Amino acid sequence: MSEQVLYAQNSAWSDVIPIPQFDEGAKPVAPILYSEEYRDATDYFRGVVRAGEKSQRVLDLTEHLIRLNPGHYSVWQYRYDTLLAIKADLREELRRMDELATTHMKTYQVWHHRQLLIEQLHEPDSELDFIKTILDIDSKNYHTWGYRQWILAHFNREDLWIAEIRYVEQMLKKDLRNNSAWNHRFFVLWSNGRRESGEIQDEFLRTEIQFVKDNISLAPNNDAAWNYYRGVLQHTNQPFSTQLNFVKLYAEERDSDSDTDSEVVLDLDNPSPGPRAVLPCAIAMEFLAEIYEEKRTPEDIDKAISLYHKLTILDKIRKSYWEWRTAEAKRLLTE
Amino acid sequence: MTVTGQSTVASESGNALYLLFRKSQSSTIMNVNLLSEQRVIEDGYRTETSLEQWLVEDSFLEALPSDPSKISVLKRNEHLNYLAKLLLEGLNKRYAVQDASQPWLTFWILQSFSLLGVLLDPGNKQKVINTILAMQHPDGGFGGGPKQAPHILPTYAAICTLAIVGRPGKGGGWDEINRKGLYNFFLSLKQPDGSFHVMRDGEVDIRGTYCLLAVSTMLNILTPTLVEGVPDFVRSCQTYEGGFSCASYARFMEGQLLSFPRPSLGEAHGGYTSCALASWVFLKPFWEGTSTPSIDVKRTIRWLTKQQGGGANMGGFRGRTNKLVDGCYSWWVGGCFALLPALGIQIDSVPRHIDNADDAAHDNDSEWDDVEEELFNSQALQDYIIYLAQAPSGGLRDKPQKSPDAYHTLYNLAGLSIAQHRVRPVPSERDWIPQPGENLILLKEKRILPILSCKDDALDLDPSETADARDARRKRVFTEVYWWKEQESLSQVKGGSINRVNATHPLFNLTVSHIQPMLSYFYGQP
Repeated sequence: MSEQVLYAQNSAWSDVIPIPQFDEGAKPVAPILYSEEYRDATDYFRGVVRAGEKSQRVLDLTEHLIRLNPGHYSVWQYRYDTLLAIKADLREELRRMDELATTHMKTYQVWHHRQLLIEQLHEPDSELDFIKTILDIDSKNYHTWGYRQWILAHFNREDLWIAEIRYVEQMLKKDLRNNSAWNHRFFVLWSNGRRESGEIQDEFLRTEIQFVKDNISLAPNNDAAWNYYRGVLQHTNQPFSTQLNFVKLYAEERDSDSDTDSEVVLDLDNPSPGPRAVLPCAIAMEFLAEIYEEKRTPEDIDKAISLYHKLTILDKIRKSYWEWRTAEAKRLLTE
Repeated sequence: MTVTGQSTVASESGNALYLLFRKSQSSTIMNVNLLSEQRVIEDGYRTETSLEQWLVEDSFLEALPSDPSKISVLKRNEHLNYLAKLLLEGLNKRYAVQDASQPWLTFWILQSFSLLGVLLDPGNKQKVINTILAMQHPDGGFGGGPKQAPHILPTYAAICTLAIVGRPGKGGGWDEINRKGLYNFFLSLKQPDGSFHVMRDGEVDIRGTYCLLAVSTMLNILTPTLVEGVPDFVRSCQTYEGGFSCASYARFMEGQLLSFPRPSLGEAHGGYTSCALASWVFLKPFWEGTSTPSIDVKRTIRWLTKQQGGGANMGGFRGRTNKLVDGCYSWWVGGCFALLPALGIQIDSVPRHIDNADDAAHDNDSEWDDVEEELFNSQALQDYIIYLAQAPSGGLRDKPQKSPDAYHTLYNLAGLSIAQHRVRPVPSERDWIPQPGENLILLKEKRILPILSCKDDALDLDPSETADARDARRKRVFTEVYWWKEQESLSQVKGGSINRVNATHPLFNLTVSHIQPMLSYFYGQP
């Protein structure tokens, strides 16, 4: 591509009338100082659009432009129109796009173009494998996760959903602070649009709660895991108070007397924070305060307020928020 | 070309940028003892996420000057120079990747000027109007540049730019907007689940919803037909964390439309949450009687406040749980707090511990304990922007070690504005009813104005509506967005008036003085 002759000097394009971006005499503000190569290619792109040409060479031109500017949505749109019009091999197009998606993974259009192709091809399996290679490079790429979820929801195949649980497990094992992976877990297990929360089996819920507790015990100050924990309980209408024994372990100062191994009672249901965990966790204190709020007695509200007060000091950046939560807690008594 | 305190900026063409801001000569030294060195808590279990966080905190601590008073001010002139250069001299060829975002580039630059208190001279204004109009598609809607396909997002940026520089009358930009064509373009993008494609065959996401609602509101083309089903799409983007994702999934292969709740696609994210909350406010005039749908605002507030980074993060906002702070979320997340009053959350009633000002000056621990009128720490956010987001030679940035650009310049400045000012709906004026014989001119000066009939619009966009219903609906829309006003007594400019930027309307990210004339014009108000 770097050796490419300008379209203006290429006899194969001499039948196309190039169209400049601005009409003659225009004095635009904030003009982009384009490279010669880019200006030339866009002039010829406007030319083929004006002429309505849809051909193999239009695919070449649009690919050239996409490499120079992957965010040029009009080029993508016209490329897609052209692919359909000349009945191009969409499987080949998809493979051609693999490299572009890898290089420009933060561009909306590379993912949306794939989605259009997959909608035509109805072949999700290899696509999930491809997405995995991108997430191996950038495990939090927003577009890539959204696209993966679209594929799962769109094809809605039992085998894909099941394999996905294993995949998300691997991702969390790699980095249990990866919120994109926790979000994906929630998507796969709870918000895939297939299950109503009433149909959730107790055993399934119990296993899931255990999974998140085990993860929290490894690195307790991890908002991603706690948010998932809270999300699952709210989604399944479980009161927070059902989690009191576990949450208390993380919401309170470490009891220095109980460090001797002989005294430790092993409770597998409620794993304790590891020796290097920094306690108390602000996010666990908030959780505990909400457990107290659920009970709504004046004594419990006082306990919640006392925790919020501690949070104004421990989690100082959110002082204003904890004051607001205090006011909200007080309101519970008058409701 | 230089920009100086009180004079004008000369461009090569001889046009000038008038600086309305008069620079204060007294240099205020900020309280420099702002940094808590508290680092990411790794609990002895390092992962890629916590390592990245640790390294960024290192870079923040390094970026702080040993004598912080040296950069404790908003580098207004440097930013103006940076922006003026982009506008008048152009953008270097690396900006070619934003060739399809040209109205955005213009909006980012011009709205930054507005926040910095600078207006363009008539000659440059006209150039901007002409540039933007060259991007309007013959069938309606604006493209990312001349002769590009129409797309919702650049349309928003184009209309906002015309709010800043445009005017009624020939060549002024406002009357040249093809509103009928734009409305049809918007309708053509609508999906059965209440979402919109951002363009023909384009992706569906909530940015499109926000931009469409903002533009339709500004131009008085928002109809029940356009809005139908949109609330369900918006609320289905709310995730278990409380923030909003970019989209949701409504159909399975059999083609049936899922009833609510629909699975959200993607994780809770600052930009999409901003779009969702503002959309929710735009939709309010369409709630009929008791059938008001709901989002979980309290869960959203919890998520929003959790995005603010404490300790070595210096009060900046991140866009997702466990991600790194970035100056642009000063607006996307910080700006959400300014929408809360319109979503029924009363903040001013929160009881607060108020420090005595003299004591506070001597108390190192209280530098972030000033009177706080927001649910986030607006003082700390100002610190992040002033200390870490300003590039030394002008322009603002994501974080130290990143280059400034037009996008980060605007969204840092807009976040600074949100942290400094309180622009709120004003119910007493919204509900005011005109009395016979009152002087409209006088009322307008006092910003108290009765809402007249909005019937003068020749566009008959939604035949399902009666004329009276249309008029009533337009009044509701106008009322919802027009009566927002800066509560000047609640401003808190850290570092003194030298750091002050103008207030911005939280729904549009335009100054009130720019959005109100445009609304008045398109709603037929005097």
